[in-house]
Amino acid sequence: MTRAKFPIHRRTLLRGAGAALALPWLEAMEPARPAAAPVRMAALYMPNGVHPELWTPTATGRDFTLSPTLEPLSDLKQQLLVLTNLWNQGSVGGDGHYVKISGFLTCTTVTKTLGVDISANGVSMDQVAARHAGRFTPFPSLELGIAPVTTGVDRNVGYTRVYGSHIAWSSPTTPLAKELDPRRVFERLFRAAHPQSSQVNSDALLLDRVLEDARDLRQSLGAADRHRVDEYLTGVRSLEDRLKRSVQPERSAWSPRAAFDPTSCPSGIPKRYDDHVRLMLDMIALAFQTDSTRVATFMFNNEVSNQSFSFVEGVEGAHHSLSHHQKEADKLRQYQLINRWHVEQYAYLLRKLKSMREAESTVLDNSMILFGSGIRDGDRHDPHNLPLLLAGKGGGRLDSGQHLSYTPDTPLSNLYLNMLDAFGAPQTRFADSTGPLPGIFR
Amino acid sequence: MIPILRLQAAFLGSCLAAGAQPYSLPDAQAFLKTHCLLCHRGKAAPGGFDVTRYSGLPGMVADAPRWNSAIVRIREGSMPPPGARAIPQDERERFTGWLSRELKSAVCSSNPVPAPVPIRRLNRDEYAATIRDLLNVHVNAAHALPVDGAGGEGFDNAAETLTISPIHAEKYLDAAKEALQYAASEPKSRELFLIAQPGPGKTPDQAAEEVLASFVPRAFRRPVRPAELAPYLALFRMAAKRGEPYEDALLFALQGVLVSPRFLFHVEAANNTAQLRPLDSYDLASRLSYFLWGSMPDKVLTDLASAGTLNDPAVLHAQIPRMLKDVKATEFAQRFVEQWLGTRELGRDIQPDAKLFPQYYEAELQSAIRYEPILFFQELLANNLSLLNLIDSKFTILTNKLQRHYGLPKTDIGQQPKRVELPENSHRGGVLSMAAVLAVSSYPQRTSPVLRGKWALDALLGTPPPPPPPNVPVLAENHAGEPARTLRQRLTEHRRDPVCASCHSRIDPIGFGLENYDVLGRWRTEDAGQPIDSHGELPGGIQFEGPEQLKAVLLSKKDLFFHNLTAKMLGYALGRGLTPGDQCVVDGIVEKLAQNDYSAHTLVEEIVLSAPFRMQPGPSNPSP
Repeated sequence: MTRAKFPIHRRTLLRGAGAALALPWLEAMEPARPAAAPVRMAALYMPNGVHPELWTPTATGRDFTLSPTLEPLSDLKQQLLVLTNLWNQGSVGGDGHYVKISGFLTCTTVTKTLGVDISANGVSMDQVAARHAGRFTPFPSLELGIAPVTTGVDRNVGYTRVYGSHIAWSSPTTPLAKELDPRRVFERLFRAAHPQSSQVNSDALLLDRVLEDARDLRQSLGAADRHRVDEYLTGVRSLEDRLKRSVQPERSAWSPRAAFDPTSCPSGIPKRYDDHVRLMLDMIALAFQTDSTRVATFMFNNEVSNQSFSFVEGVEGAHHSLSHHQKEADKLRQYQLINRWHVEQYAYLLRKLKSMREAESTVLDNSMILFGSGIRDGDRHDPHNLPLLLAGKGGGRLDSGQHLSYTPDTPLSNLYLNMLDAFGAPQTRFADSTGPLPGIFR
Repeated sequence: MIPILRLQAAFLGSCLAAGAQPYSLPDAQAFLKTHCLLCHRGKAAPGGFDVTRYSGLPGMVADAPRWNSAIVRIREGSMPPPGARAIPQDERERFTGWLSRELKSAVCSSNPVPAPVPIRRLNRDEYAATIRDLLNVHVNAAHALPVDGAGGEGFDNAAETLTISPIHAEKYLDAAKEALQYAASEPKSRELFLIAQPGPGKTPDQAAEEVLASFVPRAFRRPVRPAELAPYLALFRMAAKRGEPYEDALLFALQGVLVSPRFLFHVEAANNTAQLRPLDSYDLASRLSYFLWGSMPDKVLTDLASAGTLNDPAVLHAQIPRMLKDVKATEFAQRFVEQWLGTRELGRDIQPDAKLFPQYYEAELQSAIRYEPILFFQELLANNLSLLNLIDSKFTILTNKLQRHYGLPKTDIGQQPKRVELPENSHRGGVLSMAAVLAVSSYPQRTSPVLRGKWALDALLGTPPPPPPPNVPVLAENHAGEPARTLRQRLTEHRRDPVCASCHSRIDPIGFGLENYDVLGRWRTEDAGQPIDSHGELPGGIQFEGPEQLKAVLLSKKDLFFHNLTAKMLGYALGRGLTPGDQCVVDGIVEKLAQNDYSAHTLVEEIVLSAPFRMQPGPSNPSP
């Protein structure tokens, strides 16, 4: 198939192995506009929990010592909040995995089903943010991942694997599909930043037609069936709105905050898992730096993933099976190395954002990057004391550089109140929240 | 709606040998009294579920959805809740087995009206195949669309999980444009859809109208009134008015057709009569075509629909062999088999370790492994063979590489997969000896009797074991200084704990029976210097040695296997999860299968002729 619409095919740039894949774009460029920088928010999800003994730092407050698993963040300690003793009460029971992951950003209990009545019973917090800030940027949010939705339904526990493959829910019944190909992400961002008005106008005409057609069609349908057509209508409407804004300057003051370097377009999905992860994190950095979106979610993998980590020195096994370490020393050792590898990737993104200057600060200073898992000890599917990190200063609001330990079983949703507040979308309540967490804001 | 329960009384179907002891209402009442009444009584009963309100079976049948969900919770052990006294596994199995049988037989004797098939969009595979057939292009037009999740019976065509994200609108717009541009550059494609050009005696408008009048009904898979063409003609005119040449303007209008919900969704004509009626014939053509080809109906089906004869059982009957012989039936075989057996995850989440099993990363072998179950199934369909071949068979589908991989004597086959008769003592035959199946039921580094046993109970027999209860004791470790114990020894110890034994006594033996196959399905007689012990003993004292005897045991449980296979295929054909009423249809089809030597065509025919597939309930029909 021809994909001639996009100008640059510099596959050569990406052919080199290893370090050449980390794309050194834009570091040297000046910020496009010195105007007050927007606050961005991302959530990075790691499946299968952590080695519980090697995660939590010793001591709390500012004088804490990073644990072996968090050690890769040592140069970023001043940008970091380590959060201890939070949980999602809604994820208790159900099963060991699906309930834990799909409620990670909604703080609800998802409906147990093979599909018929699929529902997260809430909207994820990133989507609350996207509803607020989506109108300021070409994309309300980006949903990125590595693995396609896992095949089938899990009859052993009675859940569709759709739950294990999504963290972003724009409505209780709409899990947001992930983009897996870094090249396509780049192309979407690039095209949105460089709209061609004739193209946009043609597309808008087609979308108008779809809207009319869908409105006609829904008249003839029952209520349950209307719902599906409405999902499509919603998508079409938001695309049309975005297209129209992009070519009508009076309706939008948006322009990219940094120039795109077309030579940095990835050539597609790399063969190696670790290269793939890096490229997707690069795309988040690019999207934030250019202000193409202010909200992103990323899944290192689907829950219960059995990704092989034998590319990590000292690891021979697969993720989910090692997470069931059964307290065997060798499995625990490998499990921790896998956790640590994820933290290293997180650190990579943070450093990248930190290297992106933005007036007097950096993109990281103006971001909140959450990292976490829906369970603690994977062997026990433990929903208590989730492994959670929040980095970046949220535009100066966050009092970073601390290990904060709360009363056991403090709602995770309380943290989301803080984040939504710093993001500029304050909520009085989110899911089961009882009030913002103390100690987060400066 | 509640997921269907398939709690068969047969011993493989339950965690414990339920035995032949009769179970009846008084036993069930005693069960409820002992385990439920402490909480579930009176006005304050949790969930408003007051068990004392039900005096006998009729009341329970009338409130079947509620009792079905109670069955699920009791069976999986989440009810009674943590903290309350747990119910022994055998008691749970006997109660839930009895109640689900009773509820089902009550539903079936009421002659239930089939549930409606909800509107759903084309899934990713259907989109690609439909564009391919509509435009006669051989590219994957869906390459940029998100992968779909699965619901219902475990397939990605289930209406309930075919959700639409905002990103879809954007992707559909791009995909339609790319596909049309590609098709416009291919003479074979142009011939099919760009059927008119302006010229002497034909204005651009007239030519465009001609193209649209032929294209739109094919795209929407039903006849279209002139008024429905008008908006697309208007798109053409708008583009022409902007100064675009004829063909560009036409492609623009066609792009509009391909982003219409009438193309993107399976839209069926509403039944506004009060009662159950035969499905509209064009809708039936589509259901049939998407079931067996995963794509739009061809001209033969459309003509039969137009003649109004497609709903005639004899006509339908005659179409099935034709469709199953068509190359497009590979789509069905591939999608159905890979999702049913779980082999689609090979190369996705499940990847044999590259260091330990480099052989797997040889492209030709990998492809042969992947396609063996698919082409085997297609062979059964195309030639109407017995579906018992799935359990055990005297042939399989090999390439020269796979033949060597299996250690079979060389015959005259090359790189292309071919049917090969298996020699005596080949240790092959049936899906259980196929490398793809053996790999997806292993860890990347080693085989696992537990995973393989669980796989067989779930995929083959439709009786997945429940998840382990919380706080299960772990497998005993090997301690330094003591002689290392084999996995078999450790699992045997594990089963001494009655809580573990209740399920592992039926999971592990099946897996042990398959231990002669390594992660890649190669035959082995020893592992790490230890001889393989492939002996297994299932509850009820059924003993077997190795895969051949294990397959004989499974063949004696074929009723369970065919209930599962039928339910899976019916769910796939309908594009939705099954309801309790559908389960009665499954029973009927399994009976027909038994009368017809389990022939592949019988299964497909009975599904196509079944009420859920070719009838449509009216708005006033209650959902069973």
